[in-house]
Amino acid sequence: MPRVQRRFLAASVALLSVVSSALVPVEAQRSGTDTYAITNARIVTVSGPVIDRGAVVIRDGLIVAVGATVNIPADARVIDGSGLTVYPGLIDTNTNLGLPEPSPTPAPVGGQGGGFLAALLRPPTPSTSNSTQAVGLQPEILAEDLIKPGGDLIESERSAGITTALTAPRGGIWIGQSALINLAGDTPQQMIVRSPVAMHVGFAPLRSGYPGSLLGVFATLRQMLLDAQRYREAQRIYEQSPRGLRRPAPDRSLEALLPVLDGRMPVVMYADREREIQRALDLADEFKLKAIIAGGADSWQLTDRLQKANVSVLLSLNLPKRTTAAIPEADPEPLRVLRERVAAPKTAGKLAAAKVRFAFQSGGLTTISDLMSNAAKVIEGGLAKDDALRAFTISAAEIFGVADRLGSIETGKIADLTIMRGELFDRSSRVAHVFIDGRPIELRPPTPGAQPGNSASGAWPLMVDLGQGELAVTLTLQQEGDRLRGSMQGALGSVDLANATLGPAGEIGFTAPVTLEGQTTEASFSGKITGDEMKGAVNITGRSPGSFTGKRPPPAPMSSER
Amino acid sequence: MRLTKSRKATARLLPLAMLVGVCLSFVPQSLRAQSGEPSETLIRNATILTITHGTLENADILIRKGKIAAIGKGLKAGSNARVIDAAGKFVMPGIVDCHSHSMLDAINEGALAVTSMVRTRDALNPNDVDLYRELAGGVTTLNLLHGSANPIGGLNTVVKIKYGRPVEEFIFPGAMPGIKFALGENPKRSNFPALPGVTRRYPGTRMGVEEVIRDAFTRARDYKRTWDEYRAAVAKRERDLIPPKRDLQLEPLVEVLEGKRYVHAHCYRADEILMLINIADEFGFKIRTFQHVLEGYKVAKEIARHGAGASTFADFWGYKIEAYDAIPYNAAIMTRAGIVVSMNSDSDERARRLNIEAAKAMRYGNLTEEEALKLVTINPAIQLGIQNRVGSLEVGKDADLAIWNGHPLSVYARVETTFIDGEVFFDRQQDLAKRAELLKERAQLEQAEPNRPPARGASPPSPRGRRPSQTDDDLWEGDRP
Repeated sequence: MPRVQRRFLAASVALLSVVSSALVPVEAQRSGTDTYAITNARIVTVSGPVIDRGAVVIRDGLIVAVGATVNIPADARVIDGSGLTVYPGLIDTNTNLGLPEPSPTPAPVGGQGGGFLAALLRPPTPSTSNSTQAVGLQPEILAEDLIKPGGDLIESERSAGITTALTAPRGGIWIGQSALINLAGDTPQQMIVRSPVAMHVGFAPLRSGYPGSLLGVFATLRQMLLDAQRYREAQRIYEQSPRGLRRPAPDRSLEALLPVLDGRMPVVMYADREREIQRALDLADEFKLKAIIAGGADSWQLTDRLQKANVSVLLSLNLPKRTTAAIPEADPEPLRVLRERVAAPKTAGKLAAAKVRFAFQSGGLTTISDLMSNAAKVIEGGLAKDDALRAFTISAAEIFGVADRLGSIETGKIADLTIMRGELFDRSSRVAHVFIDGRPIELRPPTPGAQPGNSASGAWPLMVDLGQGELAVTLTLQQEGDRLRGSMQGALGSVDLANATLGPAGEIGFTAPVTLEGQTTEASFSGKITGDEMKGAVNITGRSPGSFTGKRPPPAPMSSER
Repeated sequence: MRLTKSRKATARLLPLAMLVGVCLSFVPQSLRAQSGEPSETLIRNATILTITHGTLENADILIRKGKIAAIGKGLKAGSNARVIDAAGKFVMPGIVDCHSHSMLDAINEGALAVTSMVRTRDALNPNDVDLYRELAGGVTTLNLLHGSANPIGGLNTVVKIKYGRPVEEFIFPGAMPGIKFALGENPKRSNFPALPGVTRRYPGTRMGVEEVIRDAFTRARDYKRTWDEYRAAVAKRERDLIPPKRDLQLEPLVEVLEGKRYVHAHCYRADEILMLINIADEFGFKIRTFQHVLEGYKVAKEIARHGAGASTFADFWGYKIEAYDAIPYNAAIMTRAGIVVSMNSDSDERARRLNIEAAKAMRYGNLTEEEALKLVTINPAIQLGIQNRVGSLEVGKDADLAIWNGHPLSVYARVETTFIDGEVFFDRQQDLAKRAELLKERAQLEQAEPNRPPARGASPPSPRGRRPSQTDDDLWEGDRP
């Protein structure tokens, strides 16, 4: 298509130059010819009734006409949409797309030193200079400042039909502020639809330094919000009559929290389990924050509270499933886990029934093509197809305050379109065309079992050396975004991991209660994942430090029948 | 051959059976007749161990609207009342565990030496299966403490084990707020290996522990003064005042200074116990309880004079240097010195059999039956400031109690039913009846698509049986070294 486009462009330039001389800048000429019409297509507008056979006209990045009978401009490039269905561009409501890998994450503060462990844990460069806060506690970080256009992840995401994404910095407690971006554009500025959109808050402790536990995370969040309240008060008093008052020190971190305290900026809080969501909402109540829950696996258990408090959910479509092989000698899986996996695809339907507003996010799915097949499972789990489409489009736009420009096919809105051969949630359908900001996107064929990148998900056979020979264990990790869960089985017992964290360069850390010589004690693992290899150090109270190393086997081939 | 086979089958069933117990915990709602919970319950013909008013044979106890309405013989209840014939059985107050880390998703904030800003309330997990096991041991109230990683640790939460209810309903209404302190090896991190490149946290000696506590209270005193001055200035209508910073670390310590928050201090050695008493005297506050306090018998007089309580183990010691000089007579000696003594669990496992811990004090130290029972009922209730609500069977108190099939100081005794605020939260018969259903549910769930194992997956997790408790704060030292 680009070649055709270029040829067409050349022709128009020639034409235009005849009319208005060659003085018109090329850029203006180009945008003047960015007119497309998709005709004879089924159009699912979301905002209005479905048009069984009609056309959408887009010009200059905007939708200029839509309907059953539409005048097709003479200069429009026409795409025959017979057999195609046009949808508003799909929105992924929580990602790190466009953000560079070494981005702000929790990392040690102070305590410089040499050594293996220190090298592993060396902090990435904080993105804000002169912050009053440690890395991981800097609400002033803007995704906007970090976005880089292009890249594999963006390409594969839009090839799956996603045109727009909320992107937030990685890791930390005060993670920073997200931006809503279109997944095309040559500069960060061209990509941004709205910024900042929301403050993001995670509850995983820092890998080193305070807070080092869930307890400290809450205390820190609370203290910083209190400090911000006082900062606001002090600034107000000082501005009224500075004479005779010592000037309050400026503080970008606290300054960044003021829109949050005023309720002008929503706070996206990462919480899956029921109690995690309750805690997040309790904190929001305490400081009158406008909360949005991201993840939300157990949100169906809290529909009353979410609905009453008008809290939206950015529901993950990274549905849990069993990853370990069937071994008769193995411990049966806990009933809780079995129940959670079966309940996950039903969550969306229950939220819809209870009128809790929600939108979908890919939730760190490493194979983005699973997004639609998981959406299909969610529909089988009781969500109406219309509601599923809304959760990918207009609901997301509403939650992020951009429903006036995105989320449906209406004249005047941004021309983000996902055009399918077949119906969106049919397993046999394919993405035919994607338009972002009125431009067609070159689609990349889906690569099954795409490279997991830095993902830690999977089963890791490890050898753990605690000074008395090697012990074999299997680490099963599940990564969702920058969050990590998992369990460990084998010679050290069969346990769930706690405080698991993953850094941008593959730094991994977790604790696990291990059983050694009949005694159960806490072991702290810290190391690094490089590709499919993992190694690091183990520390157990009262023992000299040990080490672990392992290699992840290649993933099982994708089964076609699911 | 056949024998082998059947034995194998049994071996396979065993962990399954153990799992059933685990499973039960996840459907607490269905265990209790929630909607049909009667407002009156009459337990008849039981041996009632009131703790504070002796033992009544063949007596009845009437529960109405969550409270104990009457105790005596030949009591009558309304026609809708649940009537339980407890002939041959024993009724005792719900056990109060003065040192627990159950239902905490995080126990230690070990990154700093003073973490009075952290709250156990923020990390409660109302679905922790250990809670159900504790109910099955006749326990109804827990003092959830922060771990012992720091000289001054986080804030406690006193809960009733209302398993299956929203977490707000667990919070014991009106319990005195408390805070954890810790002395000795844990706060000075002596049992933690030095990691290359990682600076060791201060303090590293007992002297340092003392200094950290003194420094914190000095700062708390200054903080209080700053706020007092600000409030005085506001009262004088001075204008344009910028309020002082609210400091969540120092606020609880000001409450300690004002006598509004109880100090629960983890300790072992006699010298450090005296040290803390001296600091408390210096700053004018009281230690409410010494926890573990294995050398309490050496300084029982001093502890009694200070007015502190002691919460100890019956016969758990020797797990580290500072725990070597312990004796099983500790609880009895401290009791005789006039200290309010309790037996705590500090372990999700020991919490299931605190009645036996109490019984040991009769064997070692000759406490009377009633004195022994007090160690796990009214005494810990006094230590937590909830003795007007729980800890004994008296008219007007909360109906937190358990029916035992034998004398609770016998190793053969077992809990039949546990009540909290007059509602059943554990019932052995209902538990047994539920197990087949859970097995069926499991079988169905295992057939569901997301639970089916992939053709190729992770290597086999080896069967390990039930995982032992790891929340004993002396073994389980925190989220990170």
